[in-house]
Amino acid sequence: MGFLHTWLPYILAGIAVGGQYALIAIGYTMVYGILRLINFAHGDVFMWSGLIMVYMITVLPLWLSIILVIIFAIVLGTTIEKVAYRPLRSAPRMSIMISAIGVSYLLQNFALYITGGLTKTYPSINWLQKTVTIGSATTKMVTLITPVLTIILVVLLVMLIKYTKIGMAMRAVSRDFETSSLMGIDINRVITVTFVIGCALAAIGSVLYFSNYTGINPMSGAMPGLKAFVAAVFGGIGSVPGAVVGAFVIGVCENLIKGAGWTTFSDAFTFVLLIIILMVKPTGIFGEKNIDKV
Amino acid sequence: MMDNREVVLRLSDITMQFGGVVAVDNLNLEVHKNEIVGLIGPNGAGKTTAFNCITGVYEPTNGAVEINGKVVIENHPQGKMKDAYKGRNNGKYTKAITMLPDKVTKLGVARTFQNIRLFKGMSVLENVMVAMHMNQTESVFGATFRSKKARMEEKAMKEEALELLKKVDLYENRDDLATSLPYGKQRHLEIARALATHPSILLLDEPAAGMNPQESDDLMRFIGRIRDEFDLSILMIEHHMQVIMGICEHIYVLNYGGQIADGTPAEIQANPAVIEAYLGGDE
Amino acid sequence: MEVRLNNKTKAALSAIAVALFLIFVFLGDKFIPAGSTWKMLITVIEKGSIYALVAASMNLLNGFTGLFSLGQAGFMLIGAYSYAIFTIPAGSHEKVYQYFDGGIIKWSLVEILEGKIGILGHYIGMFIPMLGAGLFVAVIAYLIGIPVLRLKSDYLAIATLGFAEIIRAFFQWNTLGPVTNGSNVLRKYTTYGNAVFPVLIGGISIALILLLINSTYGRAFKAIRDDEIAAEAMGINLFKHKEISFVISSFFAGISGALLAMFQTTINATPFNTVMTYEILLIVVIGGIGSITGSVIGAFLFTAASEWWLRGLDSGRWLGISSSLMRPGFRKVVFAVLIMLIVLFYAQGIMGSKEFSWDRFLTWWKRLPSNLKAWPERHRAKSEARKEARAVKAAAKAKAKEAKADNEARKASGKALFTPLPMSDHVIVFEKEGK
Repeated sequence: MGFLHTWLPYILAGIAVGGQYALIAIGYTMVYGILRLINFAHGDVFMWSGLIMVYMITVLPLWLSIILVIIFAIVLGTTIEKVAYRPLRSAPRMSIMISAIGVSYLLQNFALYITGGLTKTYPSINWLQKTVTIGSATTKMVTLITPVLTIILVVLLVMLIKYTKIGMAMRAVSRDFETSSLMGIDINRVITVTFVIGCALAAIGSVLYFSNYTGINPMSGAMPGLKAFVAAVFGGIGSVPGAVVGAFVIGVCENLIKGAGWTTFSDAFTFVLLIIILMVKPTGIFGEKNIDKV
Repeated sequence: MMDNREVVLRLSDITMQFGGVVAVDNLNLEVHKNEIVGLIGPNGAGKTTAFNCITGVYEPTNGAVEINGKVVIENHPQGKMKDAYKGRNNGKYTKAITMLPDKVTKLGVARTFQNIRLFKGMSVLENVMVAMHMNQTESVFGATFRSKKARMEEKAMKEEALELLKKVDLYENRDDLATSLPYGKQRHLEIARALATHPSILLLDEPAAGMNPQESDDLMRFIGRIRDEFDLSILMIEHHMQVIMGICEHIYVLNYGGQIADGTPAEIQANPAVIEAYLGGDE
Repeated sequence: MEVRLNNKTKAALSAIAVALFLIFVFLGDKFIPAGSTWKMLITVIEKGSIYALVAASMNLLNGFTGLFSLGQAGFMLIGAYSYAIFTIPAGSHEKVYQYFDGGIIKWSLVEILEGKIGILGHYIGMFIPMLGAGLFVAVIAYLIGIPVLRLKSDYLAIATLGFAEIIRAFFQWNTLGPVTNGSNVLRKYTTYGNAVFPVLIGGISIALILLLINSTYGRAFKAIRDDEIAAEAMGINLFKHKEISFVISSFFAGISGALLAMFQTTINATPFNTVMTYEILLIVVIGGIGSITGSVIGAFLFTAASEWWLRGLDSGRWLGISSSLMRPGFRKVVFAVLIMLIVLFYAQGIMGSKEFSWDRFLTWWKRLPSNLKAWPERHRAKSEARKEARAVKAAAKAKAKEAKADNEARKASGKALFTPLPMSDHVIVFEKEGK
């Protein structure tokens, strides 16, 4: 009992952060599944969603702000795809990755300009901040809402991928880009939908994440972004449930490490995990084996 | 007919299974010294997979590869494959010897690729010189600081490469970008590059693909010539029956991974199983 | 018009150019007063050389070996710390390591050697920790390379990025404080006296990288970049060569880290983050992936633009234009937009994969007047060609639309969309053709 008493708060915090990472990780894993691209800018779309919320809430009611933030993230994400990735689709893999890094650099610098480099305080959403007591731990409502909301969204998404026509098209494109385009699938539409879903989830994630960690600055997206990517790799890149499991594992482990007093290494741990998983099972826990054709 | 020349390459019961698909099923094949052997079969019969098993790109699921009388690759179904294995001769092989492609090349087995794989960013001469890199002995420091040994080796390498390019009629193109060559010459360059590794066995994967009759005729003569000039044994995959029947002394036929026939060109042409595989049986 | 010089002339020209440049930097740093705008030029050359070196080292990996590695900032960090730790004067330790009882290492190599053999010892005392920093980074890179270099392209990128972050966490770890000063700043260590120092060290290092690239090992690297499978089939041991490239690249990243520490006079682990790696990568891209000359030009342009030319954008006045848009941070936005434009529309960068050569330079110089004269004509021709291409494209689009409509109509009326090929095309002839 004593053990649980000490660790429960960390586990709860971990599950909450895990859920938030999961919402970001889905964007990474889906885009990678279809374009084979690490969308380095995804973390910055997440950061920008948070930033827009800060500005929007000053003039608009909460519900409208949240909706507008989601729409903003979708528009930003799809624009990035259209402007920075689409023209390079037939270029070498490295160019499109460099383009992603360039977009990330641009978004960070633009945020730096807008905010003047200052850390902004995220608006506090009252009912998310309510305190609840579970057993021995007192925590915020957001900690409880996050995993539940995450799981609901993921189930919806998995159903979308499994049972709808566009979901089938997505699966086909992620299997074989060229053949599916020959089969008459509108590749551009599939990619746009992928970005729409990924960015919408990242925006929802940003509302939850920044309600938890209220400070937001231009670099706030980089670390969660990288961690979410690691989560996606951990779960087997391309697999949505895998990314979610990976995100929860990372969230919980990271907070346990913080609890043990190793805060400096809580970020580094993610990468240790990444390297271990890449060494042991490069395809991730839910990934499929891919054989290079010679 | 017995061939009493020594066997330089022997595949014993080579089986390659990907998941549930048996791509190569129990292939037994021999290449004798200075022999030109053909490997034919319809698309997807497992010919290139067999090449990949010989050169270490894939690890065969079962069977052994012997080069110059020494077993260099051997495997048997292990782990999950133990139960999933669909091939034959399970239990016949016990050792697991693997070898990376570069080691196989060092043993004197060079290859070309079905879809030409030249080094795009390099000149014709450089493409050939790269293949000689493995035989130079200078360390990276010596090479960077241009030690006497490095300079001598570089010079020798260049001379040999130019000599080789003369032999394959690419001397005039030596400074061109490899990918700027016409298709036929790219095929020649790939062969030249393989020859630069000083092989004793040459594996050619569809050297005549995409060639017109005139070009493939030239290629046929070219292959015969390099066999004599470089003292090679050649195993080739080819779809052009003209080429295969024209220069091969022995032919193996694959279909759906399995070996359906082998023999001299004349025997193969008369073999009903082969004709059925190619033209389809009457149903 | 084509200029072809013999090797001796080229070597002489290069030697003269290098000597002139070094003398200019040396005198410039010595005599230009600190407040002058032209002092900026010297600062740009100083910092530019350091970035040129790290960009060249990254290009060795990304552009010549085809390894998309993003660990450069981490290796620079190790280099910077390794140098700084061993050159903090004994008297300053108490102050620098104020939270760690003056640290563990209480001496400075520079001081020890200077005390023994005078001014020569001073430089040797700087040189040894610098070289040591490079070698130490090389060892770390060797160890990291063992697991990481077996990964495929984008996994490699993310794993190296991850290692760089781990390294950063390590250097900020308070338990190591007596050595690294934890998350506090390291300062007071020995730095160079004249800007010619980083230029010289950077120049020599880049020259070594060039020599490596033009050796037989460089050819093997390029083979791996162009086609791993074919390279392996040519007997090139992939892992060994990737490891060589990775270790050497990291060695030079370490050296540049040490130089950066000297340039900045204080160091802290925080800025050696992913953004720094991204900036180095973008320098490589601006210059041209696969061109060391490009990396050098890119590094100088990058530092000149960010430190000098675009400074005005942050302070409200630039090129005589003033605007309220120009407040701190605007410079970096403009800069990032410029970089994106290069990435999207000028992907080969300034040099593509070409290197500087006297022949090409002099030919270009000689042709410059005639080229300038011909420019309006060429421009017109180009724009006409573009117009034509646009027209063709529009026509093709219209045709495709028509075809689509036609197909739809056919589909609606139940007609076949295409006619199958005749079967006879598939028959294979077994007969040997007579000659």
